[in-house]
Amino acid sequence: MQAYELDRPERLRAHLACTRQLYQPLADGQGTLRWQLLSADDDRPFMMPAEPPVFSAKAFFFAEREALFRYENGQFIPLPPAVRPQVLFGLAACDLTAVAYQDRFFAADPHYQARRAATLLVGVDCAHSCRHGFCAMMDSGPEVRPHTADLILCPLEQRWLLLVASEQGERALTGLALTPAPADWAQQRDAQAMQVAVEQGEQAEIALGCAALNGETVDSQTWEALGLRCLGCSGCTSVCPTCSCFAPLQQPSAGGVVQERVWDSCLYQGFQKEASGHNPSATPGQRVQRFWYHKFGDDFRQRFGRDGCVGCGRCDAVCPGGIGVHQVMKRIGQP
Amino acid sequence: MIDLTPRPMRLLDCYDDGEAARHFAFAIEPLADEPVVQPGQFFMLALPGVGEAAFTYVSPPDADGRFSALIRQTGTLTAALFALAPGAVLGYRGPFGRGWPAVEPGERLLLVAGGCGLAPLAGLIDSTDGELQLIYAARNRSYQVLARERARWCGRLRLVETLDQGNDGLPQGSPLEALAWALNEAEVPTKVLCCGPEPLMLAVARRCIDQGLAASRIWLSLERRMHCGVGLCGHCYIGSSYACVDGPTYRYDEYLRLLAASGQAAATCLPPQPC
Repeated sequence: MQAYELDRPERLRAHLACTRQLYQPLADGQGTLRWQLLSADDDRPFMMPAEPPVFSAKAFFFAEREALFRYENGQFIPLPPAVRPQVLFGLAACDLTAVAYQDRFFAADPHYQARRAATLLVGVDCAHSCRHGFCAMMDSGPEVRPHTADLILCPLEQRWLLLVASEQGERALTGLALTPAPADWAQQRDAQAMQVAVEQGEQAEIALGCAALNGETVDSQTWEALGLRCLGCSGCTSVCPTCSCFAPLQQPSAGGVVQERVWDSCLYQGFQKEASGHNPSATPGQRVQRFWYHKFGDDFRQRFGRDGCVGCGRCDAVCPGGIGVHQVMKRIGQP
Repeated sequence: MIDLTPRPMRLLDCYDDGEAARHFAFAIEPLADEPVVQPGQFFMLALPGVGEAAFTYVSPPDADGRFSALIRQTGTLTAALFALAPGAVLGYRGPFGRGWPAVEPGERLLLVAGGCGLAPLAGLIDSTDGELQLIYAARNRSYQVLARERARWCGRLRLVETLDQGNDGLPQGSPLEALAWALNEAEVPTKVLCCGPEPLMLAVARRCIDQGLAASRIWLSLERRMHCGVGLCGHCYIGSSYACVDGPTYRYDEYLRLLAASGQAAATCLPPQPC
C-alpha cells in the first residue's frame, strides 16, 4: 500500500472537493454529529469525532426513501437515481466495513450500485475507542480494514498518514503534492490500533451472547422478556449501518403514480403480517430475536461472509428500552 | 442488475372459481429471452396506485405470453384487482423463487393441497408424466378452487377430496386420514408435495414423518409476505433464508434446520385458518 505523509487533512479534503461533492460528519445546531455537505472553500478544521455520527453512511447508497418507477398512461417508467461524483470524507472503519457488507448484499440493486459507483470513500483510523464501540472484536476496526476504502487517513502525533487503498483512490490524488511516509508507518499504525483495541477491552458479554444465540440455548421467555422492552420504534434498525429492510410506498404524482421504497424495520409488529392476518413473527420477543439473529447468527455469517454487526454501538446509544447490543448480549449470555 | 420496474401486463378475462376466488387470464409481451416458468414459482403483480403482491401461476406463460393465476380476495390489492374490467393494464415482474423439485421418471408423487394451495400444484400436475395422487382439502364445497382443472384431471390422477364441512355441516373426510391411507399403501410415494395453510402443511409433514417417510422427501410451499421478490426487502425471511429466492418451496428437513438454527420453532405458527 502506498503511504504518504500529510501535514493537514484539510488540504486533501479541499483537493477532493474540487471535483466532487464532499460530505463530512459535522455537528448540527444541536451539537449532533451528522453527515453534511461541505463546500470546496470551507476551511473548518477536520476533527476526529469522539463518537460516530448518529447515522452511518448507508443512506448515501441505500436511500431512506427513493422513487423506483413511475406508472403513467399504461407504462412503467424506471426512475434511476440522479448521481453526481461524491466523496465521503472521514468514514470510521466500522462504517466502511458496513458499506462493504452492503455492497455485497445490494450487488445486483441498480439504485444502490449507481450511487456507490459514483462515490469515493476516505476512511479514518480511530485513535481512541468510542463509548460503545467493539469493532476490534467484530473484525471491523479500529483501523480501516483492507478493501473497504479508497483512501485512508491515520492520525499520528503531529501529522497524518495518507494510505492509498484503491486505484480510484490513487487517481483521486493526481495533482496533490505529497511526500512519502517514513518507513515505519505500518508499525506506528498497528501500535495505535492495538491501543484502541485495549481500550475496548475483552467484550466478554458479546462473545458469551453470541455463543448462546448460536448454541440455541436462549429460551423464548428470555426473548419475550427482552421484547417487552422493545417499543418498536425502529431506532436500532435506522441507525444500524447494515440494516437494509425496506417497504414499498405508492405515491400519487401528476398524471400517474410513483412507486417508492422506504426503510422498514423488522421490529415493527406488521413487518411479516400477511393479508390473511397470519403473522409468523407476531410477538415482540420473536422480532427482537430475529434482529439479533440477523446480526450474529452463524447462518448469516456464512451467507454474507461476516457478521451483520460491525460493533459501532449505535444501537446501545439509541435504544430507549435499554436493549442495545451490550444489554441484549449480556442477558442472553447468562446461564 | 435486477430490474425493479414491472413490465405491462394485461388482464384478459376472469371467471369465478370458488368462494371469493377468481381465475384470471393475463398476458405479457414475451421477451426474446423470456425465462421459463417452473411450477411452484411466483410473479409479482403490480396494481398501479395500490401496490404489488406475489401470486403463483396456474398455467405458465405460453408463446404469446398468456398465462393464468388463481387469486382469492383477501386484502386491499386483491379487492382492487377484483374490481377491474378486462383490458386493464397491470404490472408484472418474474418469475421468482424456486419451484417444486424436479420429478424423475418413475416417481410416484403424493400432492396434498389445502384451499387455494392447489394453485401452485396445478402447473406441476399439468407438466408431469409421473404417477400422481392428490389429496385436496377445503373448508367446504364452495371454497374449492380450480373446478375446471380438477374435472380435467379426472382419470389422469387419483383424487381424494375432503371438506371441513360437508353439505350436512359435518366433516367429509379428513386430509390427514387420507394421507395416512396413502402412506399405508404398498408403494409409498417417492415425494410428498404440499401447499396450503401452514398449520395444515406442518401437520401433513409430521404425519409423513410418523409413518416413516424421510423429511428429505417432503416439500412445502410456504407463504410469506413479499415485497421485492429478489431477496432484498427482508420481509419474507424464514430463519436465514428468504422465501422469495430460497423458497417458496422448501424441503421439510431444510425448513426445520432453518427454524432450529434461528431459534424459532414451527409450533409458533398460529392455529389453522380457513382454507
